Amino acid sequence: MVHTSTSAKLGVGIGLRAPHVAEVLATRPAIGWLEVHAENYMGAGVPLAALERVRADYPLSVHGVGLSLGSAAALDNRHLSRLQRLITRLVPACVSEHLSWSIAGGIYLNHLLPLPYTEETLAIVARHVMHTQEVLQYRLLIENPSSYLRFTHSTIPEPEFLGELVRRTGCGLLCDINNIYVSCCNLGGDPVAYLNALPARAIGEIHLAGHAVNDADGQTILIDDHGAPVSEAVWDLYGHALARFGPVPTLIEWDTNIPELAVLCAEAHTAERCLQRAQEAGYAGVA
Amino acid sequence: MPALRDLQAAFLRAMFGPDEPELLETIVGDGLRPAARLQIYRHHVLTSLTDVLQATFPVVCRLVDERFFRYVADAYIRQYPPEAPCLFEYGAHFPAFLAAFPPCRHLAYLEDVARLEWAMNIALHAEVCALLDPAKLSGLAAPDVAQLTLQFDPSVTLLDSPWPIDQIWRVHQVGEEVYTTVDLNAGGVSLEIRRWEDDVGFRRLDPAIYTFRTTLVAGHALARAAAAALEASQEFDCVTALHELLTDGVIIGFTL
Repeated sequence: MVHTSTSAKLGVGIGLRAPHVAEVLATRPAIGWLEVHAENYMGAGVPLAALERVRADYPLSVHGVGLSLGSAAALDNRHLSRLQRLITRLVPACVSEHLSWSIAGGIYLNHLLPLPYTEETLAIVARHVMHTQEVLQYRLLIENPSSYLRFTHSTIPEPEFLGELVRRTGCGLLCDINNIYVSCCNLGGDPVAYLNALPARAIGEIHLAGHAVNDADGQTILIDDHGAPVSEAVWDLYGHALARFGPVPTLIEWDTNIPELAVLCAEAHTAERCLQRAQEAGYAGVA
Repeated sequence: MPALRDLQAAFLRAMFGPDEPELLETIVGDGLRPAARLQIYRHHVLTSLTDVLQATFPVVCRLVDERFFRYVADAYIRQYPPEAPCLFEYGAHFPAFLAAFPPCRHLAYLEDVARLEWAMNIALHAEVCALLDPAKLSGLAAPDVAQLTLQFDPSVTLLDSPWPIDQIWRVHQVGEEVYTTVDLNAGGVSLEIRRWEDDVGFRRLDPAIYTFRTTLVAGHALARAAAAALEASQEFDCVTALHELLTDGVIIGFTL
């Protein structure tokens, strides 16, 4: 593997979305790094040209949402080639994707869909992660999904599934704290126990985002819409994660009801203070 | 226990169709009906793809009202679900779909406004290419020049319409005076949509210039394009038209 993943020096970044690109270029806010969705820049047109100017001043992370590592069918090699071309051009600090699927029967469903956690799924995802890492020559960071259902035939708890994926493929993990919180609330589960079950040394990046609180048939369901400030419960969990994983590079994501750039930067500065405290305290992270 | 391939095929069917008992049996209720859990995913798939179409066709959305737009988008997504993850490429069939969709067939200009918005989307994402240096053509003999074919920048679309779609587009921009009226009988337009530096835009072309350029875009030689343009207008001046074309920033290559 040519490339290492993130380093703690990156600090806190924000997800760069189209409405903020011009302002970021004009004002160069004090942000550690920026993350973009790979699929938005595969056209090599105006958006990529702007991103290349951004890249001159900020470390980048490329976050894929469309590779569908959990599809039972083979990976879409055309898409993988486009991802490879983008990464060759941007040389990002890290590359990440999801533990999910989104393609079946040649249809792309534009959602990070849930997987049954079985030996069959583990073998498929591990094969796809290995292949992707070989093609990209990057160590992938795999993100835990937010879930609204689980399957009756799942036999492996999600954090253990991710740990085994790390062991088999050498990939790292992108620990999305909001997703852990959302999934545990929606499916029953202890988010602290989830964090404790993850292999600490594999965590290369943390995501923080807000969620919506909805009602389905009279039961509260949390929707991972990235459309609100990070909730208090997620900040608390973040503190626990930093104590366990150390000062891992952290990203603030906001994708719907996108606010002013200053609001995102303020969230990032809150996270930055948490990171600094973790750095000063040292940490007793164990794998 | 279903194989992953079968589970995903059933899940895919459920996103665009009714619940299937076999799929529901694989979902843990956890205090909720399995169908309600599946519905959360179905809702997100359809609404997020509708949002993609709305972002690509904002003027169409304003023309028909957002509620109707979401209704027609839902029908479109079911007929033409995306086949790849780059969603800036999603929506190519939407203009033709609008034209054939019975509830909006009376809005005759809607398809062409959608084509304009699609062309702008193409221009935004088309690969940035190096332009042809016009000096490379300076030594060509006249018979060679007549046989030239020119390669256009991939951001360029030439589009004509019997409706003033450029005006319709402009008065439906956010912040524009909403009560500005457009005379639908003002006549048609011949538009060039493309990238200018870091921006995407369009402009009207003179009908003869439009004919000249569309003939070239179709891959025909310069002599044939000039003849077609002359047929459109006796005023057409080939030397000036060629000079403008080569200095306009739209030609990236040539073949002899």
